[in-house]
Amino acid sequence: MSLAILSKPAFRDFVARLLADYRVAGPVAHNGSFIFDEIRDPSELHMDYPTTLLPPKKFLLPIREVLFRFKRQDGGVLQAPPETPPTVLLGVHTCDLHAIQLLDTVFSSGHYDIHYVNRRKKTLIVSIECLGPCDEHSFCKSMGTLTADEGYDLHLTDLGDQYAVDVGTQAGKELLEKYASAKPADKEDVQRLNAVISAKWPRFSYRLDFDVSELPSVLELGMKSPLWEELGQRCLACAACTNVCPTCFCFDVKDEVELNLVDGQRVRQWDSCQLDEFATVAGGHNFRASRALRQRHRFMRKGKYILDAHKHLGCVGCGRCARACIVDITPVGVFNELYRQQQAGS
Amino acid sequence: MSANGKPKIAFFDFTSCEGCQLTVIDSLQDHPELLNAVEIVQFREAMSEKGEDYQIAFIEGSCTRQSDEARLKAIREQADIVVALGACAHLAGVNALKSLHPLEEVRKYVYGDKWDWYETYDARPIEAVIPVDFAIPGCPIDRNEFIAVVKALLLGKKPPIPDYPVCVECRLKENICMYTKGKVCLGPVTRAGCGAICPTYGSSCEACRGFISNPNQDSIKDVLAEAGLSVEEIINIYTMFTTYQVREKLLQKG
Ligand code: SF4
Ligand code: SF4
Ligand code: SF4
Ligand code: SF4
Ligand code: SF4
Repeated sequence: MSLAILSKPAFRDFVARLLADYRVAGPVAHNGSFIFDEIRDPSELHMDYPTTLLPPKKFLLPIREVLFRFKRQDGGVLQAPPETPPTVLLGVHTCDLHAIQLLDTVFSSGHYDIHYVNRRKKTLIVSIECLGPCDEHSFCKSMGTLTADEGYDLHLTDLGDQYAVDVGTQAGKELLEKYASAKPADKEDVQRLNAVISAKWPRFSYRLDFDVSELPSVLELGMKSPLWEELGQRCLACAACTNVCPTCFCFDVKDEVELNLVDGQRVRQWDSCQLDEFATVAGGHNFRASRALRQRHRFMRKGKYILDAHKHLGCVGCGRCARACIVDITPVGVFNELYRQQQAGS
Repeated sequence: MSANGKPKIAFFDFTSCEGCQLTVIDSLQDHPELLNAVEIVQFREAMSEKGEDYQIAFIEGSCTRQSDEARLKAIREQADIVVALGACAHLAGVNALKSLHPLEEVRKYVYGDKWDWYETYDARPIEAVIPVDFAIPGCPIDRNEFIAVVKALLLGKKPPIPDYPVCVECRLKENICMYTKGKVCLGPVTRAGCGAICPTYGSSCEACRGFISNPNQDSIKDVLAEAGLSVEEIINIYTMFTTYQVREKLLQKG
């Protein structure tokens, strides 16, 4: 929409003012790493963080949430849970931004998920451009997520002593007008921004050995690869890979009751296709009983099934699963190996 | 059922440190309303009265002597539901470590020259002696899980004990993985439900809750070996709480 400039002190003031009216969350330091968390003071923010343990998804699809409360008598009186406060999510990287766009599609099409959509409507996103790779596990450049031209309300680029602020939505424009003392960008600012952006691209490398547009067919051709069996032997079915993934959205729903055995609540919490119990249906049959089949399913979803169903790739190249896996099962490794096998076989 | 319609429950202890019963007392302090839902008729840790007409028996501790067997069988006779309370009852836990050494040596080490005054044999989980309906794992048990199990039993449902690894709870807590810190951890093969309390406070998981039902044993052994552990070290860490299970499995394989 338009470009504004916010000096670093003005950005701190902006956040301080937001705190009066919004729940504000952003990247903060945690045990020598970083997590997205609610902040109480702008000084807690680390806007130059490399990556976080869990993605910002947890503010839109909480790890565990109460869907409603009920009574096991009188026809089961229902009560909605407390509403989420209006929230500003600061410092979202573009890989995670692409993941949120996928979640928006998933939860608003087909079965319209009122819980997600309500929370999403109350959330404003202030994202930030990565100027260097977060670490050796990321492959956003290969996945086309190293930048974004939509999905944010405001998008920041660090120009050293100031941020360039790209206004993405009307809501973002209003937020900036109401809470920040920004100035419109002049010609010099635009030149500086362009220089910073063109300097960043060479810092990232392509890590897939083929173009991402080929990924769905690489997977399709790889359905019968012996690789899956090998992964199944190594995989611990620990679900670290899916729990840290910004695009995974599977959940489990269950009822919990109080000790009076009358009052209760229905909760949902993140689930994982990598766990043994996930594909077990009533009667005890598990239609993906082997770890090999579950690994195949996971990568098929990331690179093909989700794209087919929702028009967004199911992997944004954030590298979190690769960082988390104790036995070094990584998307880059898997995708490249399938491609290598196909090149060797053809 | 008592006259007031509340199920009667009783607690029993065998060879254990009584830490699980103390955790039950803690849960009662957090959830005094539990006493509106059940009537406790026997609980040596907490009261002196003794009733024998219980429906649900919670048994703490391993079976470590011949004379334990008759007592266990009598409890099984009376109770409709028997629940193993904690690692000693559920797995035999650390008590089973003594079976790694000749019994006489162990008895002399513990009881000195009075060693033959005290009867003892290899420690076993109570399930080796009587049928057990459910187990609440852990050393000690998790207080919230204890309450969740009681609720499930009152509703006539299967207790919600997870069958996925500790890593699930650990990652969702945004802990830094012990392996990232250059340490080893049994979380990937251990049954969750404790909230990954050990890694959360900086210690490795030692599998006090026992293994999940389908652990990838070969892969975790490779992981431990790659981390530089010797075979002996791997066996030591692997059998801290699961000596009985690992031995049984080896015996089955012959
Ligand atoms: S993190 Fe690795 S070991 Fe764990 S489930 Fe995923 S692929 Fe398997
Ligand atoms: S599959 Fe891995 S790299 Fe891809 S989005 Fe998920 S966590 Fe990130
Ligand atoms: S994967 Fe790329 S876009 Fe995502 S945090 Fe790392 S560098 Fe930034
Ligand atoms: S610290 Fe242990 S339990 Fe936690 S993720 Fe790592 S291996 Fe799993
Ligand atoms: S983390 Fe492991 S050792 Fe610690 S309580 Fe949980 S299961 Fe037991």
